[in-house]
Amino acid sequence: MVQSRQTGLNEKQKRQTITSAIWGGIVIALILLITTIWVSSGAKIGTSQAVNRVSEFYLEELAGRRAQVVSEDLKINIDYMKNALEVLEDSDLESQETLRRFLGKVKRLYGVDKFALVDENGIVYTEHNTVSGLSRYGFLSEGLREPVIHTLNLYGAKKQVILAIPVDGLAFQGAQIKVCFIQIDINEMLSSLTIQASGSETYCNLYYRNGESLTNDAFGYLSAGKNVLSALSEAKLDKGYSVEQMKDDFANGKQGQVSFNYQGYREELCYIPVEGTNWMLTILVRDNVISQQISSVSSRMMNRSRIQIIIMVFVMFLVFFVLIDQSKKNAKFVLEQEIADRDRLRIAFSQVEREQTAMENIHAAMGSGRWSMEFNENGEMVSCSWSEVFRKMLGYEGEEDFPNVLESWSNLLHAEDKERVMQEYWDTVNDYTGQKTYDVEYHLQTKHKGWRWFHAAGRLSRRPDGSPILFVGLFVDIDDEKKMEELLEKQTVDLQDALAAAQHANKAKTTFLNNMSHDIRTPMNAIIGFTSLAAAHIDNSEQVQDYLAKITTSSNHLLSLINDVLDMSRIESGKVKIEEKETSLPEIMHDLKTIVQADIASKQLDFYIDTADVVNEHVFCDKLRLNQVLLNLLSNAMKFTSPGGMVGVRVLQKGAAQEGYASYEFQVKDTGIGMSQEFIQHVFEPFEREQTSTVSGIQGTGLGMAITKNIVDMMDGKITVISQEGKGTTFTVELLFRVCFGPVRQEVIPELKGLRALVVDDDFNTCSSVTKMLSIIGMRPDWTTSGKEAVLRTKLAEEQNDEYAVYIIDWLMPDMNGIEVVRRIRGIIGEEKTIIILTAYDWSDIEEEARDAGVTAFCSKPIFLSELREILESPFIIQNTEDEGGEEETSFTGKRIFLVEDNELNQEIAVEILQEAGFVIDVADDGAIAVEKMKITSPGQYDLILMDIQMPIMDGYEATRQIRALSKPGISDIPIIAMTANAFDEDEKAAFNAGMNGHIAKPIDIPKLLALLREVLK
Amino acid sequence: MLKGTHVEKKGKRKQKRRVLIFAVLVAAICGQGVGLSGCGRKQEEMAASDNETLFQESTESLPESSAKAVNFERELDEYQPSKKEYNFYFTYKMIHPWWDAVALGIEDAAKLYEEMGIVINYEYLAPNYASAQDQIKRLSEASFRNFDVIGVDVADVELVTPEINRLVANGQKVMTFSSSDAAKEDGCNRIAYVGNTHNYEDGVALTEAICEKLGYCGEVAVLVGTRGAPCHEDRALGVQDVIAKYPDMEIAEIAYDEDSVDKAYEFTKGFLARHSDLSGIICCNMSNPVGAARAVVEAGHMEEIVIVGMDHDQEALRYLRDGVIYALGVQDCYSIGFDTVQVAVKIADGHLPGEAYPEKTEEITTIIYQDGASAMLRTLYGEID
Repeated sequence: MVQSRQTGLNEKQKRQTITSAIWGGIVIALILLITTIWVSSGAKIGTSQAVNRVSEFYLEELAGRRAQVVSEDLKINIDYMKNALEVLEDSDLESQETLRRFLGKVKRLYGVDKFALVDENGIVYTEHNTVSGLSRYGFLSEGLREPVIHTLNLYGAKKQVILAIPVDGLAFQGAQIKVCFIQIDINEMLSSLTIQASGSETYCNLYYRNGESLTNDAFGYLSAGKNVLSALSEAKLDKGYSVEQMKDDFANGKQGQVSFNYQGYREELCYIPVEGTNWMLTILVRDNVISQQISSVSSRMMNRSRIQIIIMVFVMFLVFFVLIDQSKKNAKFVLEQEIADRDRLRIAFSQVEREQTAMENIHAAMGSGRWSMEFNENGEMVSCSWSEVFRKMLGYEGEEDFPNVLESWSNLLHAEDKERVMQEYWDTVNDYTGQKTYDVEYHLQTKHKGWRWFHAAGRLSRRPDGSPILFVGLFVDIDDEKKMEELLEKQTVDLQDALAAAQHANKAKTTFLNNMSHDIRTPMNAIIGFTSLAAAHIDNSEQVQDYLAKITTSSNHLLSLINDVLDMSRIESGKVKIEEKETSLPEIMHDLKTIVQADIASKQLDFYIDTADVVNEHVFCDKLRLNQVLLNLLSNAMKFTSPGGMVGVRVLQKGAAQEGYASYEFQVKDTGIGMSQEFIQHVFEPFEREQTSTVSGIQGTGLGMAITKNIVDMMDGKITVISQEGKGTTFTVELLFRVCFGPVRQEVIPELKGLRALVVDDDFNTCSSVTKMLSIIGMRPDWTTSGKEAVLRTKLAEEQNDEYAVYIIDWLMPDMNGIEVVRRIRGIIGEEKTIIILTAYDWSDIEEEARDAGVTAFCSKPIFLSELREILESPFIIQNTEDEGGEEETSFTGKRIFLVEDNELNQEIAVEILQEAGFVIDVADDGAIAVEKMKITSPGQYDLILMDIQMPIMDGYEATRQIRALSKPGISDIPIIAMTANAFDEDEKAAFNAGMNGHIAKPIDIPKLLALLREVLK
Repeated sequence: MLKGTHVEKKGKRKQKRRVLIFAVLVAAICGQGVGLSGCGRKQEEMAASDNETLFQESTESLPESSAKAVNFERELDEYQPSKKEYNFYFTYKMIHPWWDAVALGIEDAAKLYEEMGIVINYEYLAPNYASAQDQIKRLSEASFRNFDVIGVDVADVELVTPEINRLVANGQKVMTFSSSDAAKEDGCNRIAYVGNTHNYEDGVALTEAICEKLGYCGEVAVLVGTRGAPCHEDRALGVQDVIAKYPDMEIAEIAYDEDSVDKAYEFTKGFLARHSDLSGIICCNMSNPVGAARAVVEAGHMEEIVIVGMDHDQEALRYLRDGVIYALGVQDCYSIGFDTVQVAVKIADGHLPGEAYPEKTEEITTIIYQDGASAMLRTLYGEID
């Protein structure tokens, strides 16, 4: 009964609630309806007023912005013209074609109808035509002084804007260019401003101050081209506006606005002057359309608001009922879920207990430690349990020793593993999808056995929503397996390394053999082939000579290959040592120039060699190796530069070296074929040659750069390369040398102090370097890169009575030959002053002509301070800084040479060469015979012994030692020269140590051999 | 446990479905509201669009005579040029707005060729004052500059013809164009002519018009342009022949203004001073009617003096509109320039007159009276009253 009463009460309460909700809803709906009607009608009036006000502001704003756009557009176009004139170069004015090309380019760049230049005769030049423009472009006759804006109304009603600026200082084909102008189609210019085409009711147009239209566009109801002031005279203006006011505003360029009725339509017109022009920009909007639109919009808004209110009330009720129903169902659902959770937990616990017991037994048997953690519905851990087996594995016993908390285990984790393992642990716990499995390996600190490896794995049982219930897992001690695994891994890595090394060595060997096979076979093929051809055409001496020349070329290449390979091999095996000796940098640079001069001439290359800031000219360095580095780089530069190209060497001393040292930078530059960026990465690797169509056909071993790099490394230097394909390459070698003698004398030469000097060289670097040196000496140097300018400066100096005391002039300059410059300068200054020709080339061919022209002395590039000082300090007699080759030829005729050589072929070659030179030859087959022969030879019978080194019975060293040990004056001191295939430095040294006077390497280089013999016999 | 889980999942899915249905329902209702307002806007736009049609401008059509006088809607003919680039040299009598109109035709034809990928380079030059000697010098200099075709508006047939013939004999392709030809019958070997071929007839037509207006009775003065210029001389000849036909008509005086408006003005002032019975002035070139009208207006004789003249000078057209000038013969200068380029291209390609183009390309002259003046001003200069 109580229950039925309770039910009745509930029903009543429910009914009351529903009734209240319905009435509440109705009241809210009515309030909404009334307020919406009130707001809408108020909004209609307000909107209308606001729109009118806004439209006025809008018109003003719109007109102002558009006038600004037009004005800016005009200014930009004037700037375009100025920019174009700035980039106009003399070359563009060379001919009609070049000018048209330029004008076309500019026209397209700026997107104008016409870009034109006008000369003083009114001839207008454009991209494709040249026309007389005086009648068409009236402004041309006005004498332009500042930028102007014109409009043209061309035949055919083509309305154009012309922007013109005056031009000064330009001439084309003998006439001064006076004006530059751009022609723009007005309609195109206004296309971005005109919006009536888009269907809007806003119109924009431009008018002159007299109301005449600039465009052919319609403007509202005004016909295209109609005078706006005349049209307004026909319109009915609103109170407060007058046509006269508008005409005044137009005439005075004032901004304004009028409302009027034209052809039955109310319209608003705003006008504003366009800055920099005599134009007025006008914007027109129709009022009646706006008001119709406002009214239409307002009534629609009202209707929509009403419908909206009805829908909202309906939706409100719907939501209300659905929410009540839903809340009931939710409550029921939560209750069911709680019951289900409770049942599931109970079942899970009993299941776990059973499984736990079973597992304990298994783990005890398997030696793996079990652990488990329990979690509540919120995923928080409520208990943790470590099995005794696990505790024992770690050396602990009982819960007191190793409490059942997570930290007991986690605090023992190795620092390296802790973050990873804990992350893995919590990721597994928090993975509500249940996909993740906990499976980790880590180090744990055991109580007695230090750090040991363990493997842990576990799984979670979860609630239906995925929250964890029980996390159960195992620990297994895997320390022994892990250590074994590490050992195996290490062994595998070692084996792999060994295998890779072996493979690399094998590959290197194969590559080397392949390269060598190819590189040796190529010249060998030529040698054998041409030898056969020579034999076949032995009677045709001309052909044979040609074949022999080719055989010589191939032989030299083969020799250089062998030398490079041996050098590389010696470098790699560490046999090459850097031997620092006192060395003169000027000597190295001059020698270098002398060596390459012939090749430079034969390849028709421009050659530059100069110095910069070198104050320490004598240093301790391995001259031979430095020479080798520079020669390698220079040979390469010459090899890869085509005739007409440039090769240059520069040495500069940098200021940042420690005391007692000097830092140098050697730059070898060319304008050759350059290298790809990929190849630059490998340029210093052995046997690397770029495979391009340009390079193929150029001989090389591919070892030069590798050798160079190795030598530079051995000298504790640095080599870098910058290259661009088709442009050229620059190698820079940076080296630090110990200095000797201190810096070159820096003091002023009193006799030259304050005197002027002129340096003339087309190479700026040379000008700069020599000028600095002259300043150090105390002179007042000037420089120029032009021969013609040098002549002009000389004239000027004469006129100012401040003559140049010394001229240093380059021989080869592009604008005027150095000799011609000297001739002209001599024509101005007479014979007294000193003129030095500075050149990187051999001047012997032009010396006579140069001296006739008035050259005082020659000087070889690169010039160092000491050399310049020496020349300028000495009295100026006809001299020359280089040896003039006046050395007497030593005659070998009748001189006797004792040749000690075991190889018959070599004997034959040597005998032929020496007899050809005039020597009389005796031959011995080994050292022992030679010693015996010397014992019985009377002094003076032989002038010299040429001694092979590797011989049977007695080698050359021993034979020399024994000959030197003889107590026979005139025999024991006879000059002995080693002539051997043992061509390394240490072989040369060994020869000198054995008492020999010289060393020449096989194969015999005849000029070298004869030069050595000449020197020794002198 | 499994069963329990299944039931629970089912319950959850059901609950989810209900929430989803509810959400869809609410969204649909709201969407309806949004849709309604969207339709409203569309209707509003449509209404606006309907309104727009009310504001479309009707374009006023031109009188037929004015529309025909000059054809600015020219297209290139179907001829395919054989080269990608041409170089032409055109020289004309003197710097004057009449030839600027021709220049526009040349310029537009060149633009159309450019759209086809064919470049037309040209020079279009003239002295400040008409001079046959200057023209001969220009032709001679141009012959050394390797132009494909040289075009000349002959300043003096007698003097210039020998130079044209010399150039043609040297292999240079020469054509005549615009106002004055030196024809085969004059002994000239030029290849073709483009321009007015009926100058005599134009002179006749203008004179007939003025005679009719004057009732074939009265004294008229004649203004001619450059002495020796074929077009001007031919028109003057036509004038004289017509006047000679009517016994009551008489020529009071003939003067050459050398294409100078100022001179035409001065001459007219002289006519008015010397001939008190003067009833009309016949003008044979473009500067004549402007100078004549200025002087007549200045003297206040607009009602007494009937002026007829040539060409499309804007000021002359305004005088025509205002009734000061009675009639103007407007030549289609634009087409002259346009066709000159087309013919020059064909000549450059080696074609001789025949199928590709006629030896003389004739351009029209239209007589315009007061009723067509405004339309002509609008057509040529975009000028609205």
